[in-house]
Amino acid sequence: MFDVLGANLPYLMKGAQQTLWLAIVGVGLGTLLGLVLGVTGAMVGGVVPAIVTTYVFVIRGIPVLVWMFLAYYMLPQLGLMVGDMTAVIGALILYTGAFVTEIARGAVMAVPKHQTEAAKALGMRKLTMLRLVILPQATSLSIPPLLNNSVMMIKATSYVSVVGVWELTYAAREVVERTLAAFQIFLGVMLIYFLICYPLTLAARYLEKRFSYEH
Amino acid sequence: MDAILDFFGFAFIQSQLPRFWDGFRLTLAISGASMIGAVMWGLALVGPRMSGLPVVVVPIVAYIELVRNTPLLLQIYLFYFGLPLLGLPLSAFVCGVIAIASQHGAFLCEIYRAGIQSISRQQWEGALALGMTRRKAMRQVILPQAVLKVVPPIGNQLVILIKDTSLVSAIGIIELTLSGKMVIERSGASFEVFLFIAAAYLLLTTTFGVVLRIAENSLRARQ
Repeated sequence: MFDVLGANLPYLMKGAQQTLWLAIVGVGLGTLLGLVLGVTGAMVGGVVPAIVTTYVFVIRGIPVLVWMFLAYYMLPQLGLMVGDMTAVIGALILYTGAFVTEIARGAVMAVPKHQTEAAKALGMRKLTMLRLVILPQATSLSIPPLLNNSVMMIKATSYVSVVGVWELTYAAREVVERTLAAFQIFLGVMLIYFLICYPLTLAARYLEKRFSYEH
Repeated sequence: MDAILDFFGFAFIQSQLPRFWDGFRLTLAISGASMIGAVMWGLALVGPRMSGLPVVVVPIVAYIELVRNTPLLLQIYLFYFGLPLLGLPLSAFVCGVIAIASQHGAFLCEIYRAGIQSISRQQWEGALALGMTRRKAMRQVILPQAVLKVVPPIGNQLVILIKDTSLVSAIGIIELTLSGKMVIERSGASFEVFLFIAAAYLLLTTTFGVVLRIAENSLRARQ
């Protein structure tokens, strides 16, 4: 019964490669963007926090699929002749970034106030304080939610198939259209996604437990 | 000013409003039906999930982990393309709602469980020491405290659910997202359509969030 899955596995694995690539670029760069924005938003005064908050609010209030469509239709119109692949990766980066911003900001804010006060009393400058006092404590707090967020975004890479970008889910639909074996193929592909996502979920859970013992 | 409005295709959007409105109503219907389904499905799962009987717990945990670690889009496809092969040709609407309720129900089950487990042992022991049965202790002591704790995460989950309804556009349900895509394909209009769609979603999720916060505050005030 699962012969059809075996026969099409090489094709699906190519799709999985593409999914991994989307995940590494989109989620990786998005996480980087979010970390920078989140830490800046928590450390810098003035209008910066308001701008960061607006970014997070607007991005998170709208489905990622709509952002993908928007990037897909809007960027060429604005004179940026990018491919559909680049457009959806842009949407993935922006979306991941918004969630990571919240995580990073929350982690920085969660460092007890007396720590920063003590650092200031020792005469540390902001950057030194960030490097030596805040980041070491915020990092362990933020790794489990960052992993969970990565799982969410890896799952979201499948939505680019709706816009028409070829990856694992798109490949699965092609194979199902050809073979009509909806159950075998979709379940098999779900299993591939599961094998990518579940280790991250488990790692997040393990680290969460370990860090909660330490504190 | 006219040039700006023209750039954003104001007149055109206005002419297409009936289509977007149809899509918006469908998005509301799918969100509502899936929310009810997900909340109930989560409640149905959490009892057995916490029963401690391996025969029950193992399959439920397997289901929850599978559903939470695979894309909702694939689950929608599985129901939509798979059920007819089992002789259950359900409509796209029903398949979409089942898939969304199934995934979000699994997430909600874990939220309920975390809420119940967060109530300290002493509350249990106190209730039992007063001569309450386990059932009565659960109903009168544990659940009222747990409910307050889980309302905010449930709210977050339901906002994600609203956004996830955009995925049923992939099985041809002309809700808000697909209505935008169809207008673009038929008219040659472009991104202004999706700016409008995005604004509509933002309005929807924000309104829902505000309503939730009001509900949460009144619940807290009552207890």
